[in-house]
Amino acid sequence: MIEFAVETRDDGIGVVTPQGRLNMVSARRLKEILSELVAGGTHRIVVDLGETTFLDSSGLGALIGGLKSARQSGGDLRIARVSPAVMTVFELTNLDRVLRARDSVDSAFDD
Amino acid sequence: MTDDQQPAADALVGRLELSAPATPEIMDLVHGMIEHLWTTHPDIGERDRARFEMSVIEILGNIVEHAYAAEETHPSTRRFQIALAATEDRLVARLADNGLPVGLDLSGAVMPDELAESGRGLALATAALDDLGYHRVGDRNLWDLLCLRGSSA
Repeated sequence: MIEFAVETRDDGIGVVTPQGRLNMVSARRLKEILSELVAGGTHRIVVDLGETTFLDSSGLGALIGGLKSARQSGGDLRIARVSPAVMTVFELTNLDRVLRARDSVDSAFDD
Repeated sequence: MTDDQQPAADALVGRLELSAPATPEIMDLVHGMIEHLWTTHPDIGERDRARFEMSVIEILGNIVEHAYAAEETHPSTRRFQIALAATEDRLVARLADNGLPVGLDLSGAVMPDELAESGRGLALATAALDDLGYHRVGDRNLWDLLCLRGSSA
């Protein structure tokens, strides 16, 4: 099971926190949440993976989809607080180069 | 298979088994089985846990998503079986389903373009496992997953 915490901060950055497992079922919901944020004018998004206990290719697909739509709108999507287990999946797909993991949500857009 | 002397996952003592409808909703139950495996084998390392769980879920996702795509079978007859086990040196899983034959060459399962949103599942499982075997036996697909504990795969 999974829940998503979604907030838009005062500086306009959207923070999405998937709490639980990102698999084939929950990735669909993440994709919708990211699309809705971008469509609603939030073009800078941090996905806080600090409470994500599992990630598979569907979850990666949802993150890449969000990254592309954020960039098309002139923004970006960044990931933060990635656990070693989830990092393994990024490394195996070489996506750690496309989605570089940031140490914290607050500093994710510092550079 | 890399090692024919070893029994398949569905023949190991201490294995966990499930036979269930092949629906996306069943995934959480399989995650639960894997969680139980970790509880009973606390010495399994984090990296081995991560690559094994991810690979099992990728293959199951493939079964749920693709094995029945072109089939008109009534949904209630779509089933899969899974057996999971851990031994001193390996983590193994066998998945079986009564869906369509899988027409693919696993050696050709390559990562798609970096910005592709799908098509990574089998490539990811192949990269994470020490061996992934696929066989069509009768009217069933059989998948054998092998993760050697502590290997660099």
